[in-house]
Amino acid sequence: MGEFDLLSSLPAIAPEIGLTILIFVAVLLDSFLHESQRKGIAYVAALGMAALAIVPIIPGWAPEPGPTGDYLFWGGMIRHDALAQIFRIMVLASGALTCLMAVDAKRVGNKGEFYTIVLVATLGASLLSASADLIMVFVALETLSIALYCLAAFKRNDSKSTESGMKYFLFGAFSSAIMLYGFSLLYGFTGQTNLYALAQFMGTEAFANNAVPVLAAMVMVIVGFGFKISAVPFHFWTPDVYEGAPTPVTAFLSVASKAASFAVMMRFFIAVFPNDLVIGDYVIQNFWVQFMAAAAVISMTLGNVIALSQKNIKRLLAYSSIAQAGYVLMGVAALQATTPLGAERAVASVGFYLFMYTFSNLLAFAVIILFSEATGSETIADLAGLNRRSPWLALTLTIALLSLAGVPPAAGFFGKFYLFTAAVEADLVWLAMIGVLNAIVGLYYYLVVIKVMYVDRSEDEDKPIPTSQTYRWVLGVATLAVIILGTVGAQVIFEWAVQGAGTLFALLPGVF
Amino acid sequence: MVPLWMFLLVAAALFCIGTFAVLSRRNAIAILMGVELMLNAVNINLVAFWRYGTPETMMGQAFTAFVMVVAAAEAAVGLAIIIAVYRSRKSVVVEEVDLMRG
Amino acid sequence: MMFNLALFVILCPLAGLCLNLAGSRWLRAPMAGIIASIAAAASFFFAASQLIALQTQPQGTIVVLGDWLPLLGVQWALQVDALSVTMMLLVTGVGTLIHVYACGYMRGDAGYTRFFVYLNLFLVAMLLLVMADNYVLLFAGWEGVGLCSYLLIGFWFDKANGVGTRNSDAARKAFVVNRIGDVGLLLALLLLYVNLGSLNFDAVFAQAAATLSAGAPLAVVIALLLFVAVTGKSAQIPLFVWLPDAMAGPTPVSALIHAATMVTAGVYLMARSQVFFDLAPLAQNVAVLVGAGTAVLAATIAVGQYDIKRVLAYSTISQLGFMVAAAGLGAYAAALFHLITHAFFKALLFLAAGSVIHGVEHGQSATGLYSAQDMRALGGLRRRMPVTFATFLIGALALAGLPPLAGFFSKDEILAAALAENTLVCALLALTVLLTAFYVGRQTLAVFLGEARSEGAAHAHESPAVMTLPLVGLALLTAFGGFMGIAAWLGGVFGEHTPEANVWLMGGATLLALAGIGLAWRMPLVKGRMPCALQNGWWIDTLYGWLIVRPFQWLGGQLARFDRGGLGWLEQRLAAGVRGASWLMSKTQTGQLNWNGVGIVAALALVLAAAVLGGGA
Repeated sequence: MGEFDLLSSLPAIAPEIGLTILIFVAVLLDSFLHESQRKGIAYVAALGMAALAIVPIIPGWAPEPGPTGDYLFWGGMIRHDALAQIFRIMVLASGALTCLMAVDAKRVGNKGEFYTIVLVATLGASLLSASADLIMVFVALETLSIALYCLAAFKRNDSKSTESGMKYFLFGAFSSAIMLYGFSLLYGFTGQTNLYALAQFMGTEAFANNAVPVLAAMVMVIVGFGFKISAVPFHFWTPDVYEGAPTPVTAFLSVASKAASFAVMMRFFIAVFPNDLVIGDYVIQNFWVQFMAAAAVISMTLGNVIALSQKNIKRLLAYSSIAQAGYVLMGVAALQATTPLGAERAVASVGFYLFMYTFSNLLAFAVIILFSEATGSETIADLAGLNRRSPWLALTLTIALLSLAGVPPAAGFFGKFYLFTAAVEADLVWLAMIGVLNAIVGLYYYLVVIKVMYVDRSEDEDKPIPTSQTYRWVLGVATLAVIILGTVGAQVIFEWAVQGAGTLFALLPGVF
Repeated sequence: MVPLWMFLLVAAALFCIGTFAVLSRRNAIAILMGVELMLNAVNINLVAFWRYGTPETMMGQAFTAFVMVVAAAEAAVGLAIIIAVYRSRKSVVVEEVDLMRG
Repeated sequence: MMFNLALFVILCPLAGLCLNLAGSRWLRAPMAGIIASIAAAASFFFAASQLIALQTQPQGTIVVLGDWLPLLGVQWALQVDALSVTMMLLVTGVGTLIHVYACGYMRGDAGYTRFFVYLNLFLVAMLLLVMADNYVLLFAGWEGVGLCSYLLIGFWFDKANGVGTRNSDAARKAFVVNRIGDVGLLLALLLLYVNLGSLNFDAVFAQAAATLSAGAPLAVVIALLLFVAVTGKSAQIPLFVWLPDAMAGPTPVSALIHAATMVTAGVYLMARSQVFFDLAPLAQNVAVLVGAGTAVLAATIAVGQYDIKRVLAYSTISQLGFMVAAAGLGAYAAALFHLITHAFFKALLFLAAGSVIHGVEHGQSATGLYSAQDMRALGGLRRRMPVTFATFLIGALALAGLPPLAGFFSKDEILAAALAENTLVCALLALTVLLTAFYVGRQTLAVFLGEARSEGAAHAHESPAVMTLPLVGLALLTAFGGFMGIAAWLGGVFGEHTPEANVWLMGGATLLALAGIGLAWRMPLVKGRMPCALQNGWWIDTLYGWLIVRPFQWLGGQLARFDRGGLGWLEQRLAAGVRGASWLMSKTQTGQLNWNGVGIVAALALVLAAAVLGGGA
């Protein structure tokens, strides 16, 4: 790995260092501030994370190849490339917005430790986006997961919250144990833990007869990632946890955790099982691409169809999130593209989709938090008359849902457009068609919610939903992001993601 | 010297026992114990692979240490959550913890 | 580079719009108008800077702002050339005057801020239309002005408009009729892209000139489709029916959108796409006939109207017919020249009419049997509203085509072009000249001379300076527009030489106009009965109602019944099926941890088995 140079290695983990400092600040503030002042920690954490999110965008601070000539830093633990930066921005932005969204939530917002744990989870997710080593992947994943278990069960006197925490924990521990077994096998086969070194060893003659164990290890790894992104059939926890966890937590885990997991999943499969890896008669890439395509179809269909019969808005968004994972998996499957540009565009489409999904989903959850804090209800039918109660809230939720459904001019349209294009370019026309069909089914249940808000009447129409100044900022920023990403910003961000994807493949010997 | 496959067999057996425990036990604590067994199977794998494969680097050792630490953290958080569930339900039988479904 | 300022031409009204939108809660009545007017004036200033920039670089330039739709090869780009700068100056110049006027006209209206937001929005869309460097951006502007037109016609959407319908119906009619034209434009765009591979003006025109021969079917079809769009937006036969109803909007809107700028977008489109029209003689002939026919038909209807604004509306249609006919004859410079002078004097006429309505409404106690727009109830306003009278008179004489006013020169150029090509067309247009002088003469006489015929007219008073000053400005433009060298400039733009002044034609046209005015003197509006056919616009609306609207409603009803019956049954079964599947699938979500774990392990085993057996193929 060459000489270790501390100064040139520091930028590679600048966001993580910043987050660590923020965690200490939050803990200190929590112990010194009076209970009534602890809401202030939210602003500190949010501003801190927002500042850290801006760091990667500063011109001239773009990731540079390190002393070893590639993007690997810290003994190969971290790969500091542009794609990692994009996903870190998503994660940090969602962390910041989550903190602000939690401020007014009862039994959550006035607890200092809530923000501390959110910061820890963000640290894990941020690290996960850049991990380049089996050990690092595992540690980052667990940092994220364990923090999320705590958050899900955060309302410890609320039986739904604790139940969701327990289920999340047991599922998470189980699936990460399976994944870890896969990791141990991969380590055993090659004697390496660095993702970028594994493939070289597996491509040698000595492995020619050992394809099946490698495949077994791969399937086990898929279980772990599949759990984090809530792809079918590893999705069982999703609806229960989404419904039971405090809503700001649901918001966070639906975006940050998913985005970081997709980031590491793409990195993992591109590095460990690249398209030139042939073991015996097995072209390894074919195998995982087929699995991703199948998982995409099942996830989209199951998520969308079950969502049709939901009564609880958080549960609806849980199934919607399973379906969205299916759409994104389409982009991962499109990595089978045979040209470098095709593969880069596949990665970029995934990146763009998650980028816009982060803001769209947070926006939807922000409105739901406001609504349920004011009314105590999470039932879709109770949203009736929201347009007359608070027209702006109804409008923002409409924009968020339209974005999730993929209707222009909201961001989701371009998200789906790029994903479907990537799939078509990778000769997966059938997959793109199933995706389009699913998008139509999906449109239905999003529109039902919009219809309830705008058409149905209720008795509480003269009671507006109180909205604090903080919240207006959150809603404003997220709405603006969704609209910009759906209009003028789409091409810019996509091009950026294509560049980032380029660095994901860059300096990988023999991929293309 | 004991050959490598023996260690791997023990680890695989342990992993299967752990998996079976997770799938069959109804008590949340027992499920947690099953998960711990699976993690220990991983540890045996890692150490054995390290000893027989690449004893010159410390990767396997380090990995094992991390797995142990994380397992401990996981157990601490998990037990705390299970206690919270017990406080509100007076039960940790997972079949009875099903407020949400459908 | 001065051309970079082109962006600000659009940005100024956009900024005004945003400012008014953001401050809608705090801004008091005059502020919104002032902001909007300043925005329009600033936009005019920047447009003028483009004119100066053209002096150094006459062929103009394209200001690229960024990528838009890379798939279609379309950019955010503004074309700054002589044609677009001419239109920019017209839109922003007349627009500014009308903004100022509206500050006074709309005072006290509940929707004051909303009005100016729409007005600025219109400027943005119209400027986008004329500055676009490709058909997609042009289409965006085209739809944008249509939207603004809809919003502003229905500005007083809750009021009845006296014809037995509501204003919102008029707005909807305008929107739907325009939509028919838009379909033509959209189809033309599709054909262009599929066959010529681009939508950028430069590329398309070069490609068309290189690959298409004169009379090529593709060129003819594209030109005809473009012409369908023209008939919609510029209110030609058969789609002109929306414009008279559009008078339901506030009068400044009628002046700006439905006389001076938006309705001329069709003529602009023809001038911009002249490559296709030049390649398609058939489309040119259609355009000439439709234009001349519209000119005569609308002029006859204008004779039969009592409403002060409807006369002007039909007059606008008739004058647009002049321009379309000229463009069809290939005399684009003449068409554009008439477009500009018409914008001056018709905006002037509308604003003066608005001033009349404003003054009379203020003088009208609640007794009025007639509305303030009914010319039978006006009269004798000469003394009470001297400025309005003087300016209206200038506008009316310009419309009639008397020298030395602007309308005379531009109308004469068109007549000359028609005479050179086709005597029949020239005769039709000459007949229109006679009719025009007749109805506008009668209008002037009925409104301003004689005695007041109602309470309101008797107590009318002159409008405030904020309204009369723009009138004076437009009157000056109308009076001297013929001498400002516009014709020569436009001739240079289109590379056409201005035809020799034909003294016989000039004299003849003037005599015709004088004859029309003489006739008006002999046959005053208030005396005698109006022919029923003219009053009802040759029953064209009724005809359309029977031929198109009724069958359509019948078809809609039948389809609805089919939908509720046969198709609905299928739909319900399908929905029930999906809902059943949803219920069934949601049963997998038992909340039972063990079973879900079994699901995971089973999936793992299944996938592994598939991998081993399938051989990873």
